[in-house]
Amino acid sequence: MLSRQKLFWLSRVYDLPGSDARFLRAVRDNCAYHIRHCPEYRLICEAEGFSPGCLNTMDDLEKIPVLPTLFFKRRHVFSMPEWRTPMKVTSSGTSGSFSRVSFDWGCIFAEIPMVLRLGFRHELVSPKPAHYVVLGYKPGKQDKMGVARTMFGLTHFAPPLSRTYALRWRNGAYVPDLDGSVKQLGRLARSPFPVRIVAFPSYLWFGLSRMEELGMSVRLPKASKILLAGGWKQHYAQEVDKNTLYALAKRVLGVGEENIHEFFGAVEHPIFFNTCKRHHFHIPAYSRVIIRDVHTLKPLPMGEVGLVNLITPLVKATPVTSVITDDLGCLTPGEVCGCGLKSPCLTILGRAGLNDITTCAAGAAELLGKGEAF
Amino acid sequence: MIFAGGKLLPGQEVNAVLGCLEKETSQVLSGAPLEAETVLDTLEALGDELDSGALDGLIAQYAPPGAREELDRVRPQISRASLKERLALELGGLGGPRPFGRAEVRPLGVLLHVAPGNMAGLPAFTAVEGLLTGNINLVKLPRGDKGLTLAVFQKLTELEPKLSPYLYAFDIPSKDTASLRRLAALADGIVTWGGDEAVAAMRRLAPPGCKLIEWGHRLSFTYLSDWAGLDLNSLAEHIVHTGGLLCSSCQVIFLDTELLSVAEQFCKQFLPVLEKAAAAYYKPPGQAARAALYVREAALEQVLDRAASGDLNFPGRLCSLTLRRDYELELSHLHGNVLVKRLPRQELIPVLRQQKGRLQTAGLICPESEREALAGLLARAGVNRITAPGHMSEALPLEAHDGEQPLRRYVRVVDMENNF
Repeated sequence: MLSRQKLFWLSRVYDLPGSDARFLRAVRDNCAYHIRHCPEYRLICEAEGFSPGCLNTMDDLEKIPVLPTLFFKRRHVFSMPEWRTPMKVTSSGTSGSFSRVSFDWGCIFAEIPMVLRLGFRHELVSPKPAHYVVLGYKPGKQDKMGVARTMFGLTHFAPPLSRTYALRWRNGAYVPDLDGSVKQLGRLARSPFPVRIVAFPSYLWFGLSRMEELGMSVRLPKASKILLAGGWKQHYAQEVDKNTLYALAKRVLGVGEENIHEFFGAVEHPIFFNTCKRHHFHIPAYSRVIIRDVHTLKPLPMGEVGLVNLITPLVKATPVTSVITDDLGCLTPGEVCGCGLKSPCLTILGRAGLNDITTCAAGAAELLGKGEAF
Repeated sequence: MIFAGGKLLPGQEVNAVLGCLEKETSQVLSGAPLEAETVLDTLEALGDELDSGALDGLIAQYAPPGAREELDRVRPQISRASLKERLALELGGLGGPRPFGRAEVRPLGVLLHVAPGNMAGLPAFTAVEGLLTGNINLVKLPRGDKGLTLAVFQKLTELEPKLSPYLYAFDIPSKDTASLRRLAALADGIVTWGGDEAVAAMRRLAPPGCKLIEWGHRLSFTYLSDWAGLDLNSLAEHIVHTGGLLCSSCQVIFLDTELLSVAEQFCKQFLPVLEKAAAAYYKPPGQAARAALYVREAALEQVLDRAASGDLNFPGRLCSLTLRRDYELELSHLHGNVLVKRLPRQELIPVLRQQKGRLQTAGLICPESEREALAGLLARAGVNRITAPGHMSEALPLEAHDGEQPLRRYVRVVDMENNF
């Protein structure tokens, strides 16, 4: 019964072979749970001839029905009644529609050791208080956006002295105030305490470019860090080379690349992926990744580029056991990275041009929730 | 963003702009009318810039991928000659001498356009139709507009400053009914593009007496009779290229047969043709990935929504066919996932009448000897366009719009008596 907790309380966070047995058992239990409690998931498994009994080796993980993230945007499917799900989170809805995923108590209980262990492992946890500048959303009661919560969560690894947000909720909408954050950075440079910038990569890029334009350059206190979350999303076209961004951070803020951390995760796969010292995402023990062929969705061997399929037994409230995102990426052997971690690295290379459906024909059939209103 | 008086303004200015709008429009209407020639000159200048490649950067920046090709295809329709032809065809004969004096064609006055998001250039196009008929145009931009319409308006007013008072664009959400109501209160006519929801919403906002011009969503299909040996490639290309997203896109392939076995045979024969078209179209891996995800999504929808329906699924590479047992015209799974159904010709009229008011294009594949009879039957069923399957979503020169002449709906005829 506690197979999930046994996996998430593992102490060796990047030991994939050592966690295989626990992972497989937890996934089997997780699939069985969703099949019992989610009618939609049961129908899909029946149609595809899948049952938890099919999972005998790690190679069998590919047999779990994969659900595209688009599926969770179009349908809101749950395996638990609402009263048992303390937390509901939505994706940021870059294209207008968003996924809704519920989390159960057991999931939250399992996430705590995962986040703490990885936080220590990547030297994010510090007893020394810090000032936070969040180049992202200020979380509030009005929204359930996953990334706002992640960013808020990231402001707890060192005791927070203050938090400044670049996006504030005013009169029913988020209002950006990048200049305010830039000014705050200037002030905090004189503080004896380190500064932690939590940012969307694109916002950091805009913010730093703006500072450079204005001829501003500050030296943030020693041990200051930059934590990047949320991906490039709506500013995908402006994605800049990571090294260019690191060089800019060094020039404008005096923060070296060893103090820049990036995170990856999705509402549909809430696993805490961290970059290693060499800025690679090694797969933690709580997750497995399959890269799938862009034409057939069949699994591809290591090194080939395809759609990213993420598997975890973390969530019981929503059947997100095996989701296929619209990210294109590849896996490389962990040893190639050179940081010492042996778990394979996931590199995200781009995005399938998956647009929201904006169609006149869709409206004709009044497909509620699938087209745009106007 | 807002476009007003030839300038781009930040979204926060919306209340200030709306506050002055009534005064400004009254002022414009009391001045000299906008001549069609002025608009034609400006569009010609814009067309020249387009042809010279001067606007390529703008298109690359704001328009979705594939917009350039789309634009090249519709370019002839916005040439001076064809616009003049359109004006003559649609408005010619409306004005002229009358026994009592004369009739004059005048603009409605102020048009509010609620523009669609499914085709990049449409918000600009609907405003141009309003300009050609001399109207002041207030455009409510669709959510997905990345700035293309604003850039086009800016270009047009740069080329001809006289157009500035005739073009406004508002990037306001559909939920902002207060602002929409203020815009609607100023309008003589509301041009709504969109689904039933959008149309119903605008009907609620329109003051009584305001003319409603509605270009609602439509459904299109292909009809095949006696197709053995006929070319199906252009149909496959049409399905893949439009992704089912346009009003003119084929949703259902209807077969003139009663036999399910014949329909099954057709699916087996057509699937490789569709796969070939999909492979040729989705060349970049990102595009292929997207198509594969849609195929997966379509398969899941089939499992969940059509569990006991007896549908036959024909999954293909980057596309799929679903053979359904009923005869109804309905929306397909889109993105290269199309429906196949039987529809013997004697059932055609009663079945299609179920969707009356929503029918648009029928692509027709049949032996030449049958074409006249079948086209007549389709027209009687309420279809407004009958084309070769490869031309279903092509803009045909001087064609009507959903069975009507649009420019006529943007004007009124003023009768003037002489000698009193």
